[in-house]
Amino acid sequence: MLSRLAESFYWIGRYLERAEATSRLLAEHYHLTVEDRSVPDDVASVVVLDALSLPHDVVTTPTELVRSLLGDIANPSTVIGSVAAARENARSVRDALSGDVFEALNGAHLTLTRGLTAAASPGASMFRVLERLMVVNGAIEWTMPRDEGHFFLSLGRALERIDMTSRLLDVRHDLVWPDTGPVAALRSAAGLSAFLRTGEAPTGDMVREFLVLDPTFPRSMLHSAQRAEAAVRGLQTLGGVDDGELVREVGLMRSRLEFAGGSHDPAIIDQLVHDTQLSGVSTAAAVAAAYFRQAGTIVWSH
Amino acid sequence: MRTEATPGSLGAYDEMVDDSGAPRAGMGTVADVLTRLGAEGLSERARLRDAYLDRQGITFSLSGRERPLPLDLVPRVVGAEEWDRVEKGIVQRIKALEMFLADVYGPGEILDEGVVPRRLVTTSNHYHRAAYGLVPPNGVRIAVAGIDLIRDEAGVFRVLEDNLRCPSGVSYVLENRRTLAHVLPEVFAGAQVRPVAEYPERLLDALRAAAPSDVSDPTIAVLTPGVHNSAHFEHAFLARRMGAELVEGRDLFCRDDRLWMRTVRGARPIHVVYRRIDDDFLDPVHFVPNSLLGVPGLLNAARAGNVAIANAVGNGVADDKAIYPYVPAMIRYYLGEEALLPNVDTYDLSDDDQRHHVIANLARMVVKPVDGSGGYGLVIGSSATEEQLAEVARTIEGDPRQWIAQPIVTLSTCPTVVKEGAVEPRHVDLRPFAVNDGDEIFVLPGGLTRVALPKGSLVVNSSQGGGSKDTWVLDEGDRVVDDEGRPTPPRVTRVRRSAVARQSAPVSADERLRQQEGQQQQTLQPYAALPQGLPADGGDAPC
Repeated sequence: MLSRLAESFYWIGRYLERAEATSRLLAEHYHLTVEDRSVPDDVASVVVLDALSLPHDVVTTPTELVRSLLGDIANPSTVIGSVAAARENARSVRDALSGDVFEALNGAHLTLTRGLTAAASPGASMFRVLERLMVVNGAIEWTMPRDEGHFFLSLGRALERIDMTSRLLDVRHDLVWPDTGPVAALRSAAGLSAFLRTGEAPTGDMVREFLVLDPTFPRSMLHSAQRAEAAVRGLQTLGGVDDGELVREVGLMRSRLEFAGGSHDPAIIDQLVHDTQLSGVSTAAAVAAAYFRQAGTIVWSH
Repeated sequence: MRTEATPGSLGAYDEMVDDSGAPRAGMGTVADVLTRLGAEGLSERARLRDAYLDRQGITFSLSGRERPLPLDLVPRVVGAEEWDRVEKGIVQRIKALEMFLADVYGPGEILDEGVVPRRLVTTSNHYHRAAYGLVPPNGVRIAVAGIDLIRDEAGVFRVLEDNLRCPSGVSYVLENRRTLAHVLPEVFAGAQVRPVAEYPERLLDALRAAAPSDVSDPTIAVLTPGVHNSAHFEHAFLARRMGAELVEGRDLFCRDDRLWMRTVRGARPIHVVYRRIDDDFLDPVHFVPNSLLGVPGLLNAARAGNVAIANAVGNGVADDKAIYPYVPAMIRYYLGEEALLPNVDTYDLSDDDQRHHVIANLARMVVKPVDGSGGYGLVIGSSATEEQLAEVARTIEGDPRQWIAQPIVTLSTCPTVVKEGAVEPRHVDLRPFAVNDGDEIFVLPGGLTRVALPKGSLVVNSSQGGGSKDTWVLDEGDRVVDDEGRPTPPRVTRVRRSAVARQSAPVSADERLRQQEGQQQQTLQPYAALPQGLPADGGDAPC
């Protein structure tokens, strides 16, 4: 597979995941700020913007926050921007995609760019985004051959999920909204039911530990790290050129999480979130170094 | 906005505005939003609400058909002080009713002293001798109660009836709040509303506290009659939100005086069963022998102390409507206090004088079966025909113990969205929910407001075409509030900026190529260029 195609598959995975995680985060954030008004609007917005590493000079109310993070097509941090970027990457690998995947993604892009900001409420917008993305994900899972393309897409999705879950944890729902925050954090990760099945009470610390270390929940950092590692190993078995640096990075990330279990110490969980976030970045760099970066393009200068 | 009184609501207490026409506490923003949206805006939101409820599957079954519980767009607001009184009154009432149940299934002192007539207890359809002497592990018989309240013409909250068996509706309280926040977020802007989301956690705590004392980590199950029951949505909701097992009778069996469920890992013990099926169907060994919904041997397991049943078997004697008039006397007898929440005047039809008075004045009475629920069998004298009244009189004379009568009380009204976005007053009641964990009785702030949707109707039951409203209790206590009504200072103690910047696909040589292609065409699609990332301070730097 061409490196260029591989990189596009990887970014399709990342952007689709970013669109989904961001719309969940925004919809729940909006709900939370409507129902629990114990925190001033500007503070509520700042904690989200900070977690997403976005500047917060203009946005103040939850409505403005949601509108701006849903809407700007030129910004890949927004939901529509992510979908547009995924679709742009899909265009460049269109010949390598199944018809179903391209049509689903193209359809999502068309529908969302045409009408998302006009939806009556952030919750309604989120439904539309999720509905479309589920179709794309279904097409990916059941029509794409399990070759390099699928591994790169899965790897991108897993690394983005680690990143988004760590950002969700950086919002610190448990500190900002002590009463309603922990449940809101779970909802933002679509994990309320999964958490409650564990039989634990949703306290701030238990929720954080769950989102970092639960081995069965698909959005936990541990589970995502396992998925990332499986994709890296899959690429290797297909003859990937990884010189060992990528395997080492992703293995380190997964094992740090996997063998940290059972400590129940909030400080250790905080440290894990931080370390894993950085690990995600160095893993992404290792992916690029191993698979995407070819010898520099030769540019003629006069 | 002023809600005009309709002929059917003559003299009703208006919950929106006071006598001078000014909005009551917390209703100002609500009134503004309603005015601003207008009929068209409200119709649009109503469509959004219906789509949301359908999608979420928030339904109840009526005559075999699944449908969303009609949620009105206008919230019902209860002030902080008002609520304080209601809460105290409910706690007091449940304390007394708990003592009454312990008494009548034990020593029976209140009957010996004649405070409550023995004949009413022994003739109650829900006084179960099978429960005599059966003491729950932590003594709690009323784990969950729903106390139905109404506001009379003077605005006084009165208890209309007690529900101590399987009160339902609390799932709609939680879902109504989420739904309203979803479809009409504007109305929340002006008020600090006390949250309701903690209910499942409170219930779980109470059920855990009810477990046999030798079990350290009890298994809790919600026992449902199955998917065809009208309240199945609620059973599934509570099980899911508590992380408890949702079981049917066929999943369970009793062996060695213990309760077990069949799982793929073999039989597993259950220590607390929150049952949502009636006593009659609970255990065919003691009750209806051909019941397929219950579990043979459950009562014996409970008597052996190996499983707790919540709510307890036989609670129906305490919410029997013929016992209801004696609740204030119970409160005096057990607690030495006067009832904080008054009853509605009620006639005991087994008393000859009272019965004659009622029959002579049937047109001004509401007649109800003593153990009915859901508004079935209820007759409102003022809207019944002569023949119906004659029929009612005959029925009462035939078996007076099965009926009570109350003078008609005009329920308070709340503005309600009716056809095509118009807003009119409709009658409402209120069912607050209380959870007793043995140490503390927790009353969920608010409760289920039911609204009679037909004009002038006084029947609010969902099985009779009633709707519901999101019910707010204003939070006005112990918070420091600034000029704009926001608490200050914020409770934010620590906020961390994420350590890494967001990554985005690098703008590569390929991208430069594409830009050149675009320039050649003299047009640039808005998204033809891969979007630029944000300034990076750690991640992949876009070139």
